[in-house]
Amino acid sequence: MLAGARQGAMTGIRRLIATAISRDLTAFVLPGPAVARSMGLDLANFHMRIVGTPRHAGVLIIVGPIPEGLRDAAAVAHAQMPRPRAIIALGTDDIAPLPDADVSAPLTQDGLQSGLADLRRAIAAGAFRPDVADFTAPALAVRVEYTCPMHPEVVSDEPGNCPKCGMTLVPRETAAGGHAVHQPPESMPAMSGHSGHGAKAQDHASHADTADGETYTCPMHPEVVSDTPGKCPKCGMTLVKAGNEGHDGQGAHHDHHGGHSAHDDEDAAQGTEQSHKDHADHAGHESHGGHTGHGGQSSVDTEGIEPHFMSMVEMTKDQPRSSDGLQMEWIEVPFGPFFPGLPAGLHLNLTLDGDTVAGSAAKSLVGITDLPGGVEMASADFADHLAARMPLSPVAYRALTCAAIEDAAGIVPTTDERRARAAAIERERIASHLGWLAEFGAQTGFLWLKSRAGALQMAVQSGGIAEIAALATPLERLIRRVQSAPLLRMRLGGLARVGKDIVACGPVDRARGSRSDVRGDDATLKGLGFEMRIRDGGDALARLVLRCDEITQSIDLIAAAGVIGLPRLPNIGRVSGDGVASIETPRGAARLRVKLTDGKVAEADLETPSTLHLALIDALIVQQELGDALVAVGSLDLSPWEICG
Amino acid sequence: MSIMIVLLSLAVGAYVLAVIERWAVHGHLSLTGPAWAALALLGRETALPRKSDRLFFEAGPLLLLVAGLMAVAVIPLAPGLIVTDLATGALFLNAALAYVLVALIMAGWGPNGAYAMIGGWRFLGQFIAYAMLIVMPITAVAMRAESLSTVQIVVSQAQLWNVLYQPIGFALFVVAAMGLAWLPPLDLPDATGELAGGVEAEYTGAQLAVLRLARMVIVLALAGAIVTFYLGGWLGPWLPPWAWSAIKILVVAAAMLSVGRYMPRIREARYLALSWKLGISLALANIFIVGVIALVVPI
Repeated sequence: MLAGARQGAMTGIRRLIATAISRDLTAFVLPGPAVARSMGLDLANFHMRIVGTPRHAGVLIIVGPIPEGLRDAAAVAHAQMPRPRAIIALGTDDIAPLPDADVSAPLTQDGLQSGLADLRRAIAAGAFRPDVADFTAPALAVRVEYTCPMHPEVVSDEPGNCPKCGMTLVPRETAAGGHAVHQPPESMPAMSGHSGHGAKAQDHASHADTADGETYTCPMHPEVVSDTPGKCPKCGMTLVKAGNEGHDGQGAHHDHHGGHSAHDDEDAAQGTEQSHKDHADHAGHESHGGHTGHGGQSSVDTEGIEPHFMSMVEMTKDQPRSSDGLQMEWIEVPFGPFFPGLPAGLHLNLTLDGDTVAGSAAKSLVGITDLPGGVEMASADFADHLAARMPLSPVAYRALTCAAIEDAAGIVPTTDERRARAAAIERERIASHLGWLAEFGAQTGFLWLKSRAGALQMAVQSGGIAEIAALATPLERLIRRVQSAPLLRMRLGGLARVGKDIVACGPVDRARGSRSDVRGDDATLKGLGFEMRIRDGGDALARLVLRCDEITQSIDLIAAAGVIGLPRLPNIGRVSGDGVASIETPRGAARLRVKLTDGKVAEADLETPSTLHLALIDALIVQQELGDALVAVGSLDLSPWEICG
Repeated sequence: MSIMIVLLSLAVGAYVLAVIERWAVHGHLSLTGPAWAALALLGRETALPRKSDRLFFEAGPLLLLVAGLMAVAVIPLAPGLIVTDLATGALFLNAALAYVLVALIMAGWGPNGAYAMIGGWRFLGQFIAYAMLIVMPITAVAMRAESLSTVQIVVSQAQLWNVLYQPIGFALFVVAAMGLAWLPPLDLPDATGELAGGVEAEYTGAQLAVLRLARMVIVLALAGAIVTFYLGGWLGPWLPPWAWSAIKILVVAAAMLSVGRYMPRIREARYLALSWKLGISLALANIFIVGVIALVVPI
């Protein structure tokens, strides 16, 4: 029996269709394919297609417990799936606010296999049902508000007319809870937070042509301004009456939200008797139609232009202007937390001017907020806790915890133990960099890279010394092929250059020529022959090449270590003290400070590379084309799970 | 009669291409895969997004299919095996494919979603980038054949295929055809990693099935155009003409579908810059060179 069945009796052709759906599974993975791979799940080769949008998916695969911050977004993703739809939950039963899973299975490859087999049977038997209960998650409840088609900043809870132009307000649905969620149909301008603008903008409109003298401008070329009527020197169109020049110039400096108040001051300063005169002018034209509130231009009859001509110049007059001078409606589009081209859990809100990014706000929905402070935690539990919180690099964080606690307890691990740990971290580095390559491939449609790097990542992260040695040749071949792929240089060269004055660490920093690597001070790694790899350039291409270099080097380091061992915390007894440790994780240096009391972790303070790099996003993507912006964010290799605060 | 044969071979061709695409994109080689997938899509709900422009949303995929079918009408599969041998066939092909743009903008605008809309506008932004590189190489092909009839164009290549006679035009036409069919690495309107499906993002169920079918028909039409204009159409030794057409079209279409797998998607701005600055210059040079050759050494 399928909870997400489609209405209808299972008869004849529907039986065949149910069989087809059970054979042709299309799946959307939560939180994402990269997390699934890191957890050891190989989603390929089940005759199942992993798709990038829930609209095209019939199965929702939930990998591991859903973090609190992703639950509402998960409900939205589920709601977007067309029926018949099914949920398979791996390694978790608590998937509220989603409906109960159709199949639950352990978070292992075997679990996935048997779970999918069960699911196929369930779909084939029950894809259609005569009685279907509707399910609406609380996050999806909508509220209706009213807005003006011409003035999106006018928002009202009740129907009525627009105070600016008198047009009838039209209803619009918004999320009742104000959740910013991944839901393309709702991703058009979400201005509900800006109702305060209405009144201010209204002032602004009424002062629009508070000019000392009339000026004339071209409807197509706002930069053409003349004191006398005539033709545009650029296109020959008849110039139309305009507001004063200074005013238009100001428009260019508005930012998206903040500009209005400054504007109001300016208008107030200009608000002289003339504005009253203009109001009178407006009144005279009111009978013409609904556009009087627009400002001066439309209400002026000009030879050659129809009285009610809706000029683009005028309609976009009050809107922020982008650097190329072309005015468009700016829209805010949420990307994430399950967007196929971004790390799962990262929520990126982009203000788009056409397809150019005009502003951004990035945050992690799965970041760390609850390291022990006050609540004590046994030291071994703490290591497990931190490792489990970092699905993309659990080994490095376990090693970090162990090192910090050992430092506090005054324990020095043996040389063999240190070598084994170093090799385990290097193995994770190879896997993590391969995972990044696979995500880069998925993001840019480089599908060969996506599947090849993904498969090698799975092989490396569970491999021993012998397996990794055997993988050295295929890895080198992969790296050669990536770097010589057509269009790669064109795609990444010069993109998202990180300047020298910006704080960064890890591969992002080493790809611009800095020698920042915690491993450089580590005697164990020096003994294994570690030499720091750096690259010049600082762009996305340099980061890709550097990560490839590091894969090659880590293979050598593992071979030199000769043993791989996951970090284990020795019995530290009931010691008290402070300890600190730094580890070079695949994404950069992480630093942990712990305070032990009676063998328990009383306080912990973590600094992570992704926290540092999250702050780089805005500067890297503003004024970039959308695709370039997303590749730029991807090139930082953020792990939203390790973002603090 | 020939209409039925062409439609039948189109259906078979689209199915074979779907098998090849699944192999190239998802790594599954299954002869029955596309049949199950199509049936599964037909069984799913079709969702109409809230506040959509319903006419555009629902008409987009259908118009795309119609545009593809119209283009197929002037592709000759063998002597006499063509839906309609228009005297202006090459021009008609171009005109039919112009509706791909309209259909994609409708599909992008209809659902009132940002991803789809950006995808649709992206395609509009590239319009000149591919449209000029479709029509200018066709000009050079027609110059050699001294006809716009697609049948005459095939016949004109009896001595030497156009791929050797005008290789620049061939390269430009193939790139432009891939742009027009929004195939990777030029799949800017539906880029999965950038737009979560773009123009396809909001379609589900039967509408998605129509959209995908239409895409396959367009790829076939363009592969047919490449074969007709540059690879000698049905010409070839030993095998019957229809077999040569089928083999050539399927090989070209399979190559078009799978080449994008081995490289990242091109940046939109670079694609535009290359098409305008390099592509159009080369296309003009191609017309000039072909004109000189046609005058000096008539083959």
